[in-house]
Amino acid sequence: MAGSFGFAALGSGADALASTARTRVRYWNLFSGGDGSNMIAMLDAFRKAHPDIAVKDSTLQWGNPFYTKLAMAAAGNRAPDLGVMHIGRVAGFAPGRLLDAWDTGLLAKYGLRESDYNPKLWQRGVVDGKLYALPLDVHVQLCFYRKDVLRKAGLLGADDRIVPVTSVDDWFGVLKEARKATKKGLQTIGLWINDQNFQWWFFVAFYTQLGGTWFDDAKTEVTFDTDKATQVLEFLRRHVTDGYANPAMGSVNAEQFINGAPFAWEGNWSVPVYSGAKLEYGAIPLPPVFGTRATHAESHSFVLPHQSDRGGATDEAAHQLAAYVVTHAQQWAAGGHIPAYLPTLSTPAYQKLSPQNEYVSAMNHQANEPKVWFAGSTGILAQRVGPIVVSSTVGSAKPDAAAGRMKKELATLLAMKNPMDGKTAAQGGTAA
Amino acid sequence: MTTAVPVKPRRTWTPSQIVLTLLGTAVSAVFLAPLLWGLFTSLKSETEAVDVPTHWLPRHWTGQAWKALFDTGNITNWFVNSLVVSVCVTSIVLLVSALAGYGFARTEFRGKGALMGLVMSGLMVSPAVLGVPLFTTVQQMGMVDTYWGMILPQCAPAAMVYILYKFFQGIPRELEEAAFIDGAGRWRVFFTIVLPLSRPSLAAVGIFTFIASWNNFLWPYMVTNNPDLMTMPNGIATVMNSYGIQWAQLMAGGLMAGLPLIIVFVFFQRQIVAGVAHTGLAGQ
Amino acid sequence: MTTAETVLAPARARTAAASATLRRRQGFQHGGWFVAPFLALFALFVVWPLLRGVYLSLTDANITGAGANFIGLDNYREALKDPLMWDALGHSAYFTLLVVPCITVLAFLLAMLAHHIERGKWLWRLCFFAPFLLPSTVAGNLWQWLFNPGTGMINYVFGGDTPWLTDKSYAMLAIVIETLWWTVGFSFLLYLAALQSIPAHLYEAAKLDGANAWHRMVHITLPMLRNITGLVIALQILASLQVFDQAVVMMDFGPGPESSTRTFVQYTLEEGFTSYRVGYASAISIIFFVIIAAVALARMWLLRNRTEEATR
Repeated sequence: MAGSFGFAALGSGADALASTARTRVRYWNLFSGGDGSNMIAMLDAFRKAHPDIAVKDSTLQWGNPFYTKLAMAAAGNRAPDLGVMHIGRVAGFAPGRLLDAWDTGLLAKYGLRESDYNPKLWQRGVVDGKLYALPLDVHVQLCFYRKDVLRKAGLLGADDRIVPVTSVDDWFGVLKEARKATKKGLQTIGLWINDQNFQWWFFVAFYTQLGGTWFDDAKTEVTFDTDKATQVLEFLRRHVTDGYANPAMGSVNAEQFINGAPFAWEGNWSVPVYSGAKLEYGAIPLPPVFGTRATHAESHSFVLPHQSDRGGATDEAAHQLAAYVVTHAQQWAAGGHIPAYLPTLSTPAYQKLSPQNEYVSAMNHQANEPKVWFAGSTGILAQRVGPIVVSSTVGSAKPDAAAGRMKKELATLLAMKNPMDGKTAAQGGTAA
Repeated sequence: MTTAVPVKPRRTWTPSQIVLTLLGTAVSAVFLAPLLWGLFTSLKSETEAVDVPTHWLPRHWTGQAWKALFDTGNITNWFVNSLVVSVCVTSIVLLVSALAGYGFARTEFRGKGALMGLVMSGLMVSPAVLGVPLFTTVQQMGMVDTYWGMILPQCAPAAMVYILYKFFQGIPRELEEAAFIDGAGRWRVFFTIVLPLSRPSLAAVGIFTFIASWNNFLWPYMVTNNPDLMTMPNGIATVMNSYGIQWAQLMAGGLMAGLPLIIVFVFFQRQIVAGVAHTGLAGQ
Repeated sequence: MTTAETVLAPARARTAAASATLRRRQGFQHGGWFVAPFLALFALFVVWPLLRGVYLSLTDANITGAGANFIGLDNYREALKDPLMWDALGHSAYFTLLVVPCITVLAFLLAMLAHHIERGKWLWRLCFFAPFLLPSTVAGNLWQWLFNPGTGMINYVFGGDTPWLTDKSYAMLAIVIETLWWTVGFSFLLYLAALQSIPAHLYEAAKLDGANAWHRMVHITLPMLRNITGLVIALQILASLQVFDQAVVMMDFGPGPESSTRTFVQYTLEEGFTSYRVGYASAISIIFFVIIAAVALARMWLLRNRTEEATR
């Protein structure tokens, strides 16, 4: 056994060799595409401003592979100094075991205070009184539309924005007109009908519009309303049955939109993709077809993956880097995300950004997943319930049957123990 | 292999040969088409790659994806890591399984039968079957995200021991006995007489192990999280392959990972075919 | 070779009895040391994880390795009632059921083809075997790209816009097709080696007896390939049940459309590393181990019966 420990030391590889006198921060993120290049640009700016700190950034595949890797690295005590997580995942990520808490004093030293945040957002990162997640942004699901196509269909208002939609009938009326103006071979709308994450996010948005709830406050009862859920599932399904979304194009919505499909429901991270393609387009929060406004929202946040020997110059540099990125997120905002740092939000430069100014209000109409340990982007909840939504949308299950299955699954999850502390959602613990 | 061809038989284009050759060509085309599609994609620009409708040959040939691969990615790191891991695994496997195969075939020690049985039952254990407990074991040893953590768990293949065990059993005992009587020790006999005789089998085991290790995804995927330490298959799958995939680059990276073995195959075809067939057939 | 011959000559002069004692003594001295390095690795990375897996399966251990409680057979009880586990097992079994017969037949046909074409043998071997040399993830990515609607080769060549990777009625099929292309080369080589080792005089004798090509195949080739076919099938069953790489790569590490391609290995890793339930993941790994072991033992049993039959 002793021998293996020797081997372990030997095997730390290129990492150990490359260390220099400078402080080195290892930073893992899940940003690719437009997000990726914006993040790298912000890191480069940081490097320029702080030549004494070497930032070693690594991009891993988004979604579960990332969380798996981050958890395994933290569990294996080889975690990076700084990481990124969706804030909804923090409760289930064992704050205190896989994550270390932020030192708010250090953050303040580098110019970032609680008062710079929307209090609700800040609180989402707090567990047991300690800050574990430092929000960078709010990102929302949007309805992207092609202005050129909609203009042809007569669906643009005088302000050159899409006509208001406030009911299901409105919405399908819009789709009907838009289809007439759409090029052959393209679908009318891309809504990721085969993707369990997107379908789940859209479900959360519209279910929240209907005023649906998930669990009671004590987290002992499932309050999921199957009638409302059925309504939402039928709504999603109708896009397929009425022929607006082509099942064969489920995975190439962006390509279709770029080629001229009038609508795409996507996360705001698609803004740089579509802007880069020089499209004439706009983006609004998912239409309030059930009356109230609400669209699915999550937040990217910085976290400190657990290291048994966290502290010292490296840890301080990690704080400094995170604070810098949060406070210098103009470019991030240009990439479509709504900045969490309030001073950025109120700059004239941000308010001029389009289509951002069309959807920034979404920040105040958030549809979030319930705050339980199994929730959060690509979390167990999405993994278990998402496929049920998909099965209804693609037509392999009836909406009402699917709603029933969702409720059953929610009950199962509620009874399930958090593997990190052996407690159910009702027994609280880290999820509070 | 031993039936040398004394007189080359005259080959004629009989009708059946023509039909078979055409058929072979058609099937080969089917097998190569995916690779060619990948190659052509890697020579398109990213926008042309996702152009609808699609087409075979690039309209504008460009090495942009290949260049970007080397400019931005960790691909050279991964390549080196793959090489280090595969070479180490192959060397260690050759050494320990040759020793063990010989030990089981030719020496006596207490509990040999039971140990042999135990090793044979190990044929049923693989990272795919027991990945989670194996990970926690390696985690306990502090070897997560290290070269050793990637290498050592790949170094106990019961199958290779079995193959060499079978082979050593077939070597005439007289060869060794003569050397013993001349005063040579076990180890000398092993290294100077037995090993040179078993070169073909060792080559087979070595080649097979190298291919398996170079292409291994599951275990490195579990045990490495740090992108700097990843091997080619792992890096391509978990780092390059993210949302908003850049297909031209991904294809270029894939070819980078796959081509070395294919090129080696072209040159050492006979040995590799013999190696794979030999190790495979040993399971009979 | 020269060393071997020079030592061989005097050896014959010695008595067998002397060498027998010598052998025993020598063996006792060193035998253990020969197998020691391997056994050490084997104990650390095969035996220990297996035992540890059994132990963990009786606990509620999580990924951090801290604070595990002994919970008896609860994990197993849960597993037997876990629809996701049964689904995953079903997907792996379904995959196996599709892949094994296809690959066996295809490998045999390719080997016959390559064996009988007189010219350019190396070229056919290269073409059929080359895909096997690609890493699983590369092959997976390549086919993910080929199956892409709109921009992929498959729909381009065959027309239509089949949603290969996003519809549950095609997704597993797509993985099977990829697997055939990628791995048939290995079984092909085994068949080719077996074909080449059939003694030519059998065919010549049959020709003299007036047997036509079809008869020669049915009465000589196929019986001579019986053993290798058994081996190919057995290896393929064991490998296919453990399918993971290509399935997750082609599905972007997800469970496929409506969770239709989540394989057993994938589910154990998801439970262990995504849901952090190491105890539960260990329990289903042990269940899987028992299944794999049962298949392997069944094969050994069949093989033994057959050899007994043959020797009888």
